Amino acid sequence: MSPYWILVVILLPMITGALLPILDFKEEEDRGKRQLFVAIPVILNTILVYALILHKPVGDLTLVHLTKDLSISFRMDGLSAVFAGLVAGLWPLSTCYAFEYIRHEGKENKFFAFYTMTYGVTLGIALSANVVTMYLFYELLTLVTVPLVMHAMDKRSIRAGLKYLAYSIGGAAIAFTGVMILMNSGDPSMTFYYGGSVTESAYLANPTLVQVGYLLCFFGFGVKAAIFPFHEWLPAVSVAPTPVTALLHAVAVVKAGAFAILRITFYSFGPGILLGTPAQGIAMAFAMITIVFGSVMALKEQHFKRRLAYSTVSNLSYIIFGATLMTPYGFLGALCHMLFHGIMKITLFFCAGSVLVQTGREYVHELEGLGKKMKLTFFAFTVGSLALVGLPLLCGFISKWKLGTAAASAGTTFAFVGILALLISAVLTCGYTMPIVIRAYLPREGFDESQNETAKDPGLYMTVPVLILCAAMLYFGMHSGPICDALFAVAAGLI
Amino acid sequence: MNAGFLFVLPVIIPVIAGLLVYFRPEYREEAKRVAFVRIMLCVTAAFVFLIDLLPEAGLHLFSLTPELPVLFQSDGMAKIFITLVAVMWLASGFFSFEYMKHEENHQRYYLFFLCSFGVLVGLGLSANYLTMYMFYELMTLLTMPLVLHSGKKEAVQAAFKYLFYSVFGALMGLLGFFFIYNYGTTITFTAGGVLDMAKVAGHENKLLAVVFLVVLGFGTKAGMFPLHAWLPTAHPVAPAPASAVLSGVITKAGILGVVRVIYYLIGPDFIRGTWVQYAWLGLALATVFMGSMMAYKEKVLKKRLAYSTVSQVSYVMFGLAVLNQAAFIGAILHVVFHSFIKDVLFLAAGAIIYKTGRTNVTELKGIGKEMPIVMWCFALASLGLVGIPPLAGFVSKWYLAVGSLESGVPFFNWFGPVILLASALLTAGYLLTIVIDAFFPGSDFPMDTLTKKEPSYYMTVPLIALTFFIVWLGLFPGGLYSMIESFAASVF
Repeated sequence: MSPYWILVVILLPMITGALLPILDFKEEEDRGKRQLFVAIPVILNTILVYALILHKPVGDLTLVHLTKDLSISFRMDGLSAVFAGLVAGLWPLSTCYAFEYIRHEGKENKFFAFYTMTYGVTLGIALSANVVTMYLFYELLTLVTVPLVMHAMDKRSIRAGLKYLAYSIGGAAIAFTGVMILMNSGDPSMTFYYGGSVTESAYLANPTLVQVGYLLCFFGFGVKAAIFPFHEWLPAVSVAPTPVTALLHAVAVVKAGAFAILRITFYSFGPGILLGTPAQGIAMAFAMITIVFGSVMALKEQHFKRRLAYSTVSNLSYIIFGATLMTPYGFLGALCHMLFHGIMKITLFFCAGSVLVQTGREYVHELEGLGKKMKLTFFAFTVGSLALVGLPLLCGFISKWKLGTAAASAGTTFAFVGILALLISAVLTCGYTMPIVIRAYLPREGFDESQNETAKDPGLYMTVPVLILCAAMLYFGMHSGPICDALFAVAAGLI
Repeated sequence: MNAGFLFVLPVIIPVIAGLLVYFRPEYREEAKRVAFVRIMLCVTAAFVFLIDLLPEAGLHLFSLTPELPVLFQSDGMAKIFITLVAVMWLASGFFSFEYMKHEENHQRYYLFFLCSFGVLVGLGLSANYLTMYMFYELMTLLTMPLVLHSGKKEAVQAAFKYLFYSVFGALMGLLGFFFIYNYGTTITFTAGGVLDMAKVAGHENKLLAVVFLVVLGFGTKAGMFPLHAWLPTAHPVAPAPASAVLSGVITKAGILGVVRVIYYLIGPDFIRGTWVQYAWLGLALATVFMGSMMAYKEKVLKKRLAYSTVSQVSYVMFGLAVLNQAAFIGAILHVVFHSFIKDVLFLAAGAIIYKTGRTNVTELKGIGKEMPIVMWCFALASLGLVGIPPLAGFVSKWYLAVGSLESGVPFFNWFGPVILLASALLTAGYLLTIVIDAFFPGSDFPMDTLTKKEPSYYMTVPLIALTFFIVWLGLFPGGLYSMIESFAASVF
């Protein structure tokens, strides 16, 4: 396909979103029209993205030259395809979920305007061909998602939104310094090449500077990937409406952070230079700390959505851990977890959202006995939890397997410690998900069932996406040969 | 025709049956439910016995990814394990029909009881590490609700303790999986091990540490020190037939895991004479002694039996850690015998609770007159566990001791049998005292006031059948011995 289609998939959702406030559908009366107006471009865009993935456009699309070296360019390579495919697969499902959910929140016009725009911006990050383009869309992503976090416009959500803004802008600023160093250590256009654009001679001229540059980028972009100690914004923004928490703060935004780290590790600085340096050690150590820390915090947290948010903190660092192994197998593990964690976590958040709108309950101890009333929701939650724990036959096991064997084959003591961190986190995962499942189905002796009388599953708009995701978890868990082959081709730099 | 397709049936039938019992309203009726579960238990067991009779076969079901196939096979070890599972589930299942009358949530109980049957058969038939790990995790998840069954605070806490210890143990197994995949030639179980020594070279120390963690991990299910603490908490709170299978069979799943990893993946030669072997021997012996001591001190009957399980399963662990053929045979024999014996003991304890409500050993005076059949079975099983010939427990302990003495492992070769003997004395102390009190409560005890409280056939028939096997296998262990010997020879 022609590279110009890349521009189409980025702009179509952005224009759709921008048109919503202009068309000004009435909140209640025009709900059907608005849903149609949003749904058609979103679905069309997803089809286009998959068409682009299957028929990759050859070459880059350069839009403008900012300076002699710097340009806004797009490209569809292997890594873009993984992230774009994930985002494009989940967006229609969450939009469908949001159609029903946002009725309970109000201000639907505004919500869908920003929500749909975010789709285009996220694809922009995925399809960037160089650091500058990625950075541009990265900043844009922060700006279009802040209104979504603040959606309720009460004190709590405004504060969360500001916190999110501060962390993200701060992180981007740190990353920017790293990017400056990157620019001076190799190809000044900072185009992504598998293996890195930093030249050997530039590295040898000042190895410390290059490593510092990598770490600045790592932690800067790591803010969005909620790496410790920059994780705090993520649990805070779980005050946002559930479709936002589920899609943006479990998949699109946070995985954009992880995606950026994969880009700068494998396509800008390059594992050839970083492997075995202190910079790799520091990055890996922080990933391991975050893995365990996130799980511990999730275990302590009693608020349902915040618990899932801490779980995201931990799981994002699985991806980063895979990246910092800096081997093709580690990269493969990271990609697997990027995809599969996206599917698992969005399911869990959808379930939490369903409970929230149907019963108004926010804390885990209030969920007792609900399994019998909200059958589909808790079925999905159970499948998602088991997948997250890493039960074979579900997709979570595959990514854990790929990460674990990658770390085992890396052979360093550090990687060995990393496996232990993964396993400790898996036990903790069991600790923060299984009690919810067990309590929901097997309430304690003497539990008063009458308080759950009115609880029931939400409507089809909310249950169908969840069930599709459950089917996906099972499918990828039992038959992931083809997708793993494709991901390995990406990780080995073949596509 | 390849008999492999048969392997799916005894795994899937109980699972489907369990789901039917739970979801179909007609099984709320006691009579229909019992009839259905009875047929399903028998059908599943029949398939298991059919697999036993057919020659060894394999089945490739599907693959998660190309390197992770789900494989089944029926080698000697698998046949012994699934037979054990089938017999215990039949006995405990029939026992449940009567026992569960005084518990609630019958459909839920049978759901998990039947599902765990299928999963255990699947575990036994696993032909590679992935399949085993999968069923191992499923087993934990599906047996946990049996522990939790009553929903009392104590049961809930015990269930969570069980869950976390087991998951932790299984994840250590997963750690081993990562490394065996990396340093081995295959993940399929192969007698004698699959390690690729060229790849291992230079990484021996790391791999030994991993092997030790794997032994600890699977040892969790087998109640081996230091990860044993869940067992005496979780086993007694379950309904008695569930305690029987938990103690009798599910602890052996940990043993199966260790056998498969050490003898079929790592290879006994790799750890012979290393610190791993000595540490393993030491932990096993410590557990043997500690379990017996705790059992001796414990006054609640089911808890005492649970501590006894801790001790006895580590006899098996000791036999496996010696790493020679005689001890290996002794260990597998003890797996079989201990399953039968512990099932009888727990079912007898269940019958006593069901009929009289007594849970404490001090309340059992004169119960031999009230429930003679139950207590006779209890007495024979106790004697077997102590190791008095010609009952089953004697043969296995004999081979354990012989294997240990001829092994040439420094210190442990004589210290092991000494501990086993001391533990046997303690076993006599904590079980035979109950038997003596039950039949000979003393001259001042009002024996005449006691009435017959024998339970129904659903309870007595399984007890008698299992006790019959304890005597039979003690008298004629030859057939079982030669069966174990045939695959024991291949792993060394």
